[in-house]
Amino acid sequence: MKWSKAGALALALPWLLTFGIFWLFPIIYSFIIGFTDQQLLAADTQWVGFDNYRALLSDPDFLKSLKNTFIFVLGTIPLTTVIALGMALLIDKQFPGRGLFRSGFFLPSITSMVVIALIFTNLYQRGGYIALLSEMIGLSPPEHGFLYSGETALFSIMAMDVWMAVGYYMLIFLAGLKSIPRELYESAEINGAGKIRQFFSITLPLLKPVALFILVVNSIKSFQVFVEIFVMTKGKFETSTMVYFIYETGLTTKFEFGYASAAAYVLFVIIGVFALAQFLLFRRKQVAW
Amino acid sequence: MNKRILFAVIITVILCGLAQAKTTITWWQFWTDPNIKPVIEKMVTEFEQANPDIDIQLTDLTWANGHEKIVIAFGSKTGPDIVELGSDWIAEFAANNLLMDMSTQVASDSADYEGWGMATYDGKVFARPWILGTRVLFANRDLLTQAGYKENFIPLTFEQLNEATKKIQALSPSIYGWGSNAPEKHRLYKKFLPFFWSHGAKLFSDDGSMCLLASDSSIKALKVYKELHDSCGFVADQRGIEDAFLEGKIGFIISGDWLLKRIELENRKINLLSSFIPGTKLLGKSFQGGEFLAVNTASKHPREAMRFIQFITSPENQVKFCVANRSANPSSLEAQKDDYFSSSIHLQTFIRQIKFANHPPVDPDWVYIEQAIEEAVENALFRSGLVAHSLYEARKKIEKIKAQ
Repeated sequence: MKWSKAGALALALPWLLTFGIFWLFPIIYSFIIGFTDQQLLAADTQWVGFDNYRALLSDPDFLKSLKNTFIFVLGTIPLTTVIALGMALLIDKQFPGRGLFRSGFFLPSITSMVVIALIFTNLYQRGGYIALLSEMIGLSPPEHGFLYSGETALFSIMAMDVWMAVGYYMLIFLAGLKSIPRELYESAEINGAGKIRQFFSITLPLLKPVALFILVVNSIKSFQVFVEIFVMTKGKFETSTMVYFIYETGLTTKFEFGYASAAAYVLFVIIGVFALAQFLLFRRKQVAW
Repeated sequence: MNKRILFAVIITVILCGLAQAKTTITWWQFWTDPNIKPVIEKMVTEFEQANPDIDIQLTDLTWANGHEKIVIAFGSKTGPDIVELGSDWIAEFAANNLLMDMSTQVASDSADYEGWGMATYDGKVFARPWILGTRVLFANRDLLTQAGYKENFIPLTFEQLNEATKKIQALSPSIYGWGSNAPEKHRLYKKFLPFFWSHGAKLFSDDGSMCLLASDSSIKALKVYKELHDSCGFVADQRGIEDAFLEGKIGFIISGDWLLKRIELENRKINLLSSFIPGTKLLGKSFQGGEFLAVNTASKHPREAMRFIQFITSPENQVKFCVANRSANPSSLEAQKDDYFSSSIHLQTFIRQIKFANHPPVDPDWVYIEQAIEEAVENALFRSGLVAHSLYEARKKIEKIKAQ
């Protein structure tokens, strides 16, 4: 059966309309209003050129949220990736109860972030389990709880995020490990390569495409961190991130759409540059078999 | 002849239709609690029965995102005819010409109500006071007794409060002298401002040209607040503090009349003391806020909307509301005389405290100003910032906001 162009267009129309109205239009519109001083309640809007972008560069709240976002991204991504890979390597082996561990590691990834954030808020509070554990190993927890201290709040959220994310990325690494031909390991073994050599010469190079996917996806997700901040600290105690800043500026207080849109485009550019850098870094030595 | 009859029938039908056409008034309000919502609905039904030409459409808002919904609705010209506004929000809407100036409509009975100061912006009244609110000092009498205080002890000064919190703190490692608020947005400043005002500090000079946040009295106030926090503070959000207080873990907290409601409805057993906010030498000043009803400038039925607002805020309906919600501060002076309010010593504390309470300036930039104040308090309490420096930075921020 052949489809006419009109028929194909008719079938694609619902998606095209949804894309146009809910994605394309807001993207273009927010780019334009990033050059205005638009506020929701204000009667008139002025064209301000690059003033919003200039103001962002000298806004201490924005710069603080930018710094916190980078700490979050650079702190969680390497840890998540290394732990997920380690867990995938362990789970890849045959041992009793393997399925139970696999499900257990994956469970946090399919649990609602809000639920997890609420549970961890309790764990981190003064007198909570984590504070008690810290005391047991001789560390003194912050006086008012981990989330009520500028020194520990962001790192506590990062730790929770790593715990939550590793299961999902472990599963992707596991899929990557399964796709590596066993013959390569057999051949390496015959040629006298030990386990460590096999890991660095076969496993790691062949997992590069998977690792790239994980790094890019996790970076984008980490740059957009919001829910955990919103639920656990409301951006207080040095935990405000870029998306939280955009939310606070654009969707609360005075609804400064123009300023918030400019901040959103700064974040867009940062994510784009970061993802591009990761692609370039990994493209240098592509391995194929 | 037939044509004439047909014409007469058509005209009659049209006239009947017109006679039955009702004016629909939309009202957005925040009271969704199962104790109070039926009372609101009953009031609406009573009004509709007394005014068969008016139909009231009720929409519920939540405190979590009600402000955002109202702003979006007004911004997109889809706001309701009548909206319930918190006292801090009135200036923001009034400054953008989104609320009807009701100065003339309320002139006749304004002397019978309190709270107009919070509804007046630029010399015009933009909302009618409904239910007011203030904060008082609550204490656990049992803990005070254990700490060696006589049963009739009430801390009247900050010095006495400080001493009592420390004695309670010394009772046990799991008992705290003072409930100290975490930096919760829109809440922290309401806890600090009573200390601020009670020390005689002012936010702005009388002519409004200078921000006085970093004055000597302001610095003293934050130092007193910080000492309570540092020496014996149980830190949590407002709900967490109240939970711990009701469990008997905290000696003193500052809270509103909703705490009385919780104690009653949750059948909490606590030997409660309610007292006025202490002062430096004499009694101090508390925070005053409240719920107001305003009419959208774009409303097509402002007269009917005002009629409904007058009905809802009438003394009888305010008493009904307060009894159902256990609210302590009706705006109507006549309602305040009702026997219900003299039935509890704690309600009386609120009624008297509100006479010694200030409200923040009615300023469209208040949301930014309160943010700067909260940052100063947060910096001094949680980031080891110097008190004077924190207030000085906040003052600079407020001056910048005002200059813009």
